[in-house]
Amino acid sequence: MSNHELSATTVKSAVRKAFLGLTPAAESLLAAAVGLILGAIIMWISGFDPLAAYAALLKGGFASTYALATAAARATPLLLTGLTFAICARAGMFNIGAEGQLYMGALAAVTVAYFTLPPGLHLIVGILFAMAAGALWSLIPVLLRVTRGVNEVISTIMFNWISHFLAFYLVARVLVDPRVSSRTFRVPITARFPILIRGTDLSYGIFAAVAFAIVIYIVLWHTPTGYEVRAAGFNPRAARYGGIKSKRTMVLAFVLGGISAGLAGATMSMGTPPSYAVLGGLSQIANLGFNGMVVAMVGRNHPIGMLFSALLFGGLAAGARQMQMTAGVPTDMVRIVQGIIVIAMAVPELTRMFRIFRLRWPRLSGRRAES
Amino acid sequence: MVQDHASDRDTKQGDLFLGAYGISKTYSDGTQALKRVDFEIRHGEIVGLLGENGAGKTTLTKILSGLLPPTEGRVDSPRGRVRFANPREAMRFGIGMVHQHFALVGPFTATENVVLSHERPFTPIRLGKTRERLETLMAESGLHVPLDVPIEKLAVGEQQRVEILKVMSRDVDLLILDEPTSVLTPLEVDELFDLLRRLRAQDKSIILITHKLKEVQSITDRIVVLRHGELVGDVRTAEATTERLARLMVGQALDGADGAAGAVELRDEELPIRREREDAGATGEVVLRVKNLVSRGNTGEIAVEGVSFDVHAGEIFGIAGVEGNGQSELVECLTGLRVPTQGEATIGGTDILGKDPREIYKLGVAHIPEDRWEVGLVLPFTLAENTILGIHRRKQFRRRLPILHRGSIQKHVEELMEQFEIQAAGTNAPTKSLSGGNQQKLIVGRELAKDPAVIIAAQPTRGLDVASAKYIRDLLVDMRNRQRAVLLVSADLDEVLARSDRVAIMFEGKFMTVCKPSDLDRETVGMLMGGVTSKEVCVEQP
Repeated sequence: MSNHELSATTVKSAVRKAFLGLTPAAESLLAAAVGLILGAIIMWISGFDPLAAYAALLKGGFASTYALATAAARATPLLLTGLTFAICARAGMFNIGAEGQLYMGALAAVTVAYFTLPPGLHLIVGILFAMAAGALWSLIPVLLRVTRGVNEVISTIMFNWISHFLAFYLVARVLVDPRVSSRTFRVPITARFPILIRGTDLSYGIFAAVAFAIVIYIVLWHTPTGYEVRAAGFNPRAARYGGIKSKRTMVLAFVLGGISAGLAGATMSMGTPPSYAVLGGLSQIANLGFNGMVVAMVGRNHPIGMLFSALLFGGLAAGARQMQMTAGVPTDMVRIVQGIIVIAMAVPELTRMFRIFRLRWPRLSGRRAES
Repeated sequence: MVQDHASDRDTKQGDLFLGAYGISKTYSDGTQALKRVDFEIRHGEIVGLLGENGAGKTTLTKILSGLLPPTEGRVDSPRGRVRFANPREAMRFGIGMVHQHFALVGPFTATENVVLSHERPFTPIRLGKTRERLETLMAESGLHVPLDVPIEKLAVGEQQRVEILKVMSRDVDLLILDEPTSVLTPLEVDELFDLLRRLRAQDKSIILITHKLKEVQSITDRIVVLRHGELVGDVRTAEATTERLARLMVGQALDGADGAAGAVELRDEELPIRREREDAGATGEVVLRVKNLVSRGNTGEIAVEGVSFDVHAGEIFGIAGVEGNGQSELVECLTGLRVPTQGEATIGGTDILGKDPREIYKLGVAHIPEDRWEVGLVLPFTLAENTILGIHRRKQFRRRLPILHRGSIQKHVEELMEQFEIQAAGTNAPTKSLSGGNQQKLIVGRELAKDPAVIIAAQPTRGLDVASAKYIRDLLVDMRNRQRAVLLVSADLDEVLARSDRVAIMFEGKFMTVCKPSDLDRETVGMLMGGVTSKEVCVEQP
């Protein structure tokens, strides 16, 4: 290394020690702390009382049974859409499409109102509808990817828009409740997720979400198929050398992701009192897919870690209203905190990506030169 | 030392341009790439830098062009001592390098690429002006390229000329070309050499890195030969014979003697190993049979051009040659990672071409790939996870449900670690934390534990420490003695010659010869590797 590089190296290694020496969990905690502290500073600059704000946030998001139940209810769809992103990330792809897949799932679940079935069975049929809709919606981008090489980031974003307007149309025209035109007709009682804690939004949907997270954990880390998905995600060339067909693992990951997002939609339309319907303007389901990506990021794309990050962001969402009411701090401040957490998370990740880059293409970075 | 070289334009042909003295380079991982090398280049001179893989050619030129600082030694010019912090400073001094892999943007035209290479932040882009300058430069130098066609539409030879033009546009006096002919057709090579001669006539200095003997003899004025980081020869081209160059390039230095003497005898330990089986009898059945295999490389060029050979049970069949002569593509065809354009290959009579890797493994093939980081291992995986890559669907690693059986995987890892002496912090240590030697032992162990009938080992000891390398070579010999068929592809000549029962020398996609190592002398080997067939060599029918 030449002189000017030497000093740069020392600085770099210090930064590396500060950030990369951490375990993933510690990194996430640090990012959350950075987000909350910077958020406090911004509140203070804006003339709010950060302590009062955070006290209210804590009270509304975590400090009582009601608060925790609300947090868990908010966390339910986030965990599932987060899993959509996480599974595909483990398979080496960026699936931005949870948002649209969730819309499709939520609307497919509503269609169970067209027929009657015994309680329980009706719910299960609704869940299956939603999962199938999410999976099918997810299948198109991944098939385009493996057959035509279409970048999945582009195609899933475009599919989000298609599903956005398709959902608007379906809510307003096809599935619309003839009596209340601002929403779809309601999911019948036989097909609703039972409420877990009276007076809150928390339904049995949380069990579905947690169970699904555990299933995904087992599939990815304890089955040969999950082994293949992760191997192909880390290193497609090595996977191919190991006899793994990465096209298959990609399709599988997207289908699983679609199922997860579809289930998230089901927990919303079949599990959210009082309406048990999809509202016009998609107000209660909009952005759940995108916020899930944040949950996946902070949860390190690991189902178990995401149980915690989903609860964190569920709590932030639940506490935001309390914060606005008692401390007078606008709910948008929570979104600022959320944004800072994402940026803080991205810093070590970017450093790592750069390191992988140097590892993979040593020629470009001028290290490890051979003769 | 900057910017003022224009005033030095009155230099004459033959004046010293740059001299490097006592250059040593040790990389941070301890490899010594250069040992006290002296090197001079004069105005109007073409110098060939000759050597095998790993001889130190690229390292030396990287030091001259400012990409790397030397560990020891100094670079001097008539204008005083020279130190470059980065390639840009070297460029301003008048030194430019054309790398083997071009740094061009495909959809951009030649002009745009040149502009791009000159660009500084916040300065306006002047396409028209650059284009004018390039036209003047082309008229002066006789180097012609289409300036307004996207690079990706140009032939490789033209792309290379764009790269040269790009470097020339920085007003360089010393042009360094790294294996420039490896991607060119014979006609393009002639054109390139014509161009280099014209540049020489304009008093430019040129360093040509190559391993091709004929070429280096046809174009250069002087040839500098490196071997294992040491300067072993500095000869005028007119006085150099092909035989002498070959000897210098691959010859084994005698202990204590000056390598430049070029004496070549294998040391005892490097003599072909005794066959334990020889007493027992003849070679076994043909296991791997390859017939007239043709394959393209990554850029669509013909990389393997009609190769045929058999590998018998209880035999190590070696393929020697400088890297990049089609060995990688050949191995990929045989292991299911590349689909050849034509030819046949069978294992135990079953056709393998076009099959996917898993089907080929099932026929009893173990593959030790040349790129252990990118192909052989999933680096972020744990040691345990990597030991089942490729065999992860085996029943022994599964419970009744399709759930992986941690216990049996654990047992497998522990056995491998013990049997193949893999040093690691634990079975769940991340694979990237292992040393190179241990990573390679991990791959070799995993592959040999498959109990294969055929072992295809590509560059199995590259970059390893001496002990690990010896260990792995011994394992391959051991497999040979246990009646396995071994295909050993290596650029390490000593390795191939010493361990193989038969050896093929590959040059530009073809086998130059197939021989018993004992029938080859090193001079012949060096010539064959450099693409020269001079005297009769034993072409043994497979």
